[in-house]
Amino acid sequence: MGEAFDLVVVGAGHAGCEAAGAAARMGARVAVVTLHNHTIAQMPCNPAMGGIGKGHLLAEIDALGGLQGWAADRAGIQFKTLNASRGPAVWGPRAQCDKARYSEIMRRVLFGLSRLTIIEGEVIGLLSDDGAVVGVRLADGRRFRARSTILTTGTFLGGVLHSGDERRPGGRFGERPSIGLGAELAGLGLVLRRFKTGTPPRLKRSSLDFDRLGVQHGDREPRPFSWRSRSVRNRISCWVTRTPERVQTIIEENIHRSPLFSGAIEGVGPRYCPSIEDKVVRFPHHREHTVFLEPEGLATESVYVNGLSTSLPHDVQEAVVHAVPGLEVAEFLRHGYAVEYDMVAPGQVGMDLGCRDVPGLALAGQVLGTSGYEEAAALGFLAGVNAVLAGRGEDLFCPAREDSYVGVLVDDLVTRDHVEPYRMFTSRAEHRLLLGVDSARERLMGEGVRLGLVRPVAFHVEQTRWNARNQAKSTLEGVCLNPDRATRAAVVQACGIEFKTPATWAQLLRRQDVDLDRAGRNIPELSSLTDEDRRIVVGSLRYEGYLDRHRREIERVRRLRGVKLPGDLDPGAIPGLSREVVEQLERHRPATLADAERLPGMTPAATAILAGRLARSGADS
Amino acid sequence: MEMASSSGWSSALVGGADTIVARSSPAGRGGLALIRVSGRETRALAEAVIPELDMNRGWRASLVELRSTDGERIDRAVALPYPAPRSYTGEDMLEVMVHGSPWIIRATIEAFVAAGARRAGPGEFTRRAVANGKLDLVQAEAINELTSAETACQARVARAQVEGLLSREFAELRGTLVDLLAEIEGALDFSHQDIPFDVDSAENRRQKGLTQVGALLATASKGRRIRDGVRVVIVGPPNSGKSTLFNLLVGQERAIVSPHPGTTRDVVEADLEVAGVRLILKDTAGLGATSDPVEREGVRRARGAAADADAVLLLWPADGARDTVPAAAENQPTLMVRSKWDLAGADEIPNGWTVVSCKTGEGVGELRNALSRMVEAEVADVGGEIAIAERHRRALEVAAAELEGADFSLPEVGAEAVRGALEAVRELTGEVGTEDLLDRIFSSFCVGK
Repeated sequence: MGEAFDLVVVGAGHAGCEAAGAAARMGARVAVVTLHNHTIAQMPCNPAMGGIGKGHLLAEIDALGGLQGWAADRAGIQFKTLNASRGPAVWGPRAQCDKARYSEIMRRVLFGLSRLTIIEGEVIGLLSDDGAVVGVRLADGRRFRARSTILTTGTFLGGVLHSGDERRPGGRFGERPSIGLGAELAGLGLVLRRFKTGTPPRLKRSSLDFDRLGVQHGDREPRPFSWRSRSVRNRISCWVTRTPERVQTIIEENIHRSPLFSGAIEGVGPRYCPSIEDKVVRFPHHREHTVFLEPEGLATESVYVNGLSTSLPHDVQEAVVHAVPGLEVAEFLRHGYAVEYDMVAPGQVGMDLGCRDVPGLALAGQVLGTSGYEEAAALGFLAGVNAVLAGRGEDLFCPAREDSYVGVLVDDLVTRDHVEPYRMFTSRAEHRLLLGVDSARERLMGEGVRLGLVRPVAFHVEQTRWNARNQAKSTLEGVCLNPDRATRAAVVQACGIEFKTPATWAQLLRRQDVDLDRAGRNIPELSSLTDEDRRIVVGSLRYEGYLDRHRREIERVRRLRGVKLPGDLDPGAIPGLSREVVEQLERHRPATLADAERLPGMTPAATAILAGRLARSGADS
Repeated sequence: MEMASSSGWSSALVGGADTIVARSSPAGRGGLALIRVSGRETRALAEAVIPELDMNRGWRASLVELRSTDGERIDRAVALPYPAPRSYTGEDMLEVMVHGSPWIIRATIEAFVAAGARRAGPGEFTRRAVANGKLDLVQAEAINELTSAETACQARVARAQVEGLLSREFAELRGTLVDLLAEIEGALDFSHQDIPFDVDSAENRRQKGLTQVGALLATASKGRRIRDGVRVVIVGPPNSGKSTLFNLLVGQERAIVSPHPGTTRDVVEADLEVAGVRLILKDTAGLGATSDPVEREGVRRARGAAADADAVLLLWPADGARDTVPAAAENQPTLMVRSKWDLAGADEIPNGWTVVSCKTGEGVGELRNALSRMVEAEVADVGGEIAIAERHRRALEVAAAELEGADFSLPEVGAEAVRGALEAVRELTGEVGTEDLLDRIFSSFCVGK
């Protein structure tokens, strides 16, 4: 028997790194088992971190004290906030990263943590003791015991790579899949499902015809993700082009050779990240599709072809790429491929990401059916933190969906059925206006301090910032202006608008004809703030009215969340509940009335019956 | 389960755990009575009460013997099984037609209860039909209206609603809102994939939604008039023969008639059906200067009734001294009638007037026709057989206000408004809802529906 740890993390992708990093920094003895040291924190698909929805997750992981945003700031080579012309709730900060550098930075962090041991090897099985998982077994015979085990195996469980009619076992390009582990999980009674994802070709930068490509610059004033970073800078540009109509013909003529349509791939892929063959078949009326060309690093020639994800045969991929303006003579460094893999249906884990029926085992990342580095990191972070908290016998950290995107992510995964890889969107958050990247630190940094992952001094620096914003906002909402001649002249001077009835600054700034740039310079409450804070304050003024509606709804949900469902609750014994509702309650075992309310098929009447039952049993005891 | 029973019949909505029984024909003595059974245990119950009945022979009537659990004969009756899901409630159902004796009815229901059924609550059959997706909430509401329809027009509108006409309108509106929301959300979440937000297209969709809401709201006053009746008020100076005309139109001596001016003090009402529409005719005190405080109150009430009316019947005696007629109502359509035409001594009918003599009966037919035309105009064919009810109006007004306020200059803010409108429509169709709402709707039902 080998060494004993508090926690073993299987896999060192984005979920594994956050899980191991958080747990070790919280004081746990952690082992990370990875197939190769050099594949730690790889970015196997696109070179970007963040974006809309994903940027929200990244900001929250950062506020909680996670690593991803900090590493992306250091590896980033182009920074851009998406939806910048909208209000702060939907800003999506994104960075193009130098992939090799990202991986190197994360590796350095992990190797630098004294309580963390990195083990190169392949986990082929789990050690179990009376139904509980107590560690892992490696292919070379080594065994490591641990109180908790977190699986973050990504696409490696039963992975099969497809490229045209070629198919071979693999977890990622050039890497073997994991075969035995999947069978072992099935043996523990876990339900596995087959998912699919894909990646586009990589082209050689020097073979692109830049004269025929549009240029995409980063933001003029790039902003870092992390509270730990002072500044970041843009080092590269990206390029953009469009597929011509001819691409449609090429694909239609060869569609029978696509594993997606020939039936070779059974797994379900994400609808919102479709391959080019999917797009052509499903949207035949779209004659053109946008293609973004994103460098994968400063030192590499490799360019990621965003928009041309494909698993067509190599000769067809080449014909398609060469038909696109600017790519006529592009050289392939790697062809696109699809990967099919086993995932563990996420309804089998709780809000803490621990398996409900297998003590000692937790799951995080793509193996739970998500898609994307940020979703993986968020889940890894939670799993790591909860493994430590559970070991200490403390309350688990399970953020609620009304408080954060991390909460939305876990809640959606655990309580809903999923037929495709799950990716975060802002439209998944019903309280979107309250969950912008601008408020992530205010919402979650306190938790990060409590977990011991954020320095209190950093919290106070940020707190000063959000206090200043809130102060400015309440002054703008509180001060009423009278439409006398002098005030009106001053207002015209300050922000270029006329007003006739008494109004607060907040009401005037909500108007569409107001000159916000001028207002920012001339109104003292605003001019004392940084440019970013000013935009946050002005943007959130326009949300007023709708915010109250959300706060009321959140109040209601919090009340329901306060009503815990006892673990030994037998829904079948409650008269008046339909069979469907009883099944849902038995399957998902919601922890609170708020969780129960969101189950499919749960009617207001059923919620009322459940509430009545709980109120009565509470009174009995 | 105090909780469930105190809030109406909640347990029924969540799927109908038990089997229910009730008489569906009206209370009182009749030739026949209809008793309904519905629920999972219907087969077992039928076996206990009607052993000879074959529940598998669905949708066919057979003559059977009903027996109580201790074997006593109750009646020879016609039984009609409806195997699930092809039944009103979507569950296994049984209808039994017995002789209309109160004892037979009671004994039959008790036999089913003894075999394990529960007596149904008000509207519980329909509620199960909703829970099982046989009817949506809007259709279910109209079931009650259909069974209580008293005029041709009420029955026509209720039937169209039961058949899903209004539900389809709401579904179309919902579709417009979902499309609009999808457009906004797509642009927000996929702006990096070069999907721009097309404000014009969103604006067009919003206008389409507003037009749909507006068209439905336009049927609200018609809906109220059909459901509650068209209110027509007779006004005129004292002693112009209002009460005489009122009694003549109603066909009964409802209002007191005397030769003395100021006989009618309060507002007297009566219901009649004109052109297939329910009409509430009101007789009022004569409008004139008076020193009697009671009569003055009568005049005040008369003016109030006229202000609330959908239409006004202005009566002016043909022998009246003055020729200038005061405007009785400002906005409502007004039918101007010269009464006591037999005293006029003139042949020429003044322009714009209908003439009538209650004494000779002259012109009464004309007057009825004119009244009929006016009522038809009041329930004009806005939206065909669609006529929304009060609950629909309130929800649609919320949706309209949300859409009016939608600001697409910040799409995430516009999305909030569209979500608000969508929520109102989804509540309307019962997709989301509070238990209060369901209880309110079903509480107006009687047992057996």
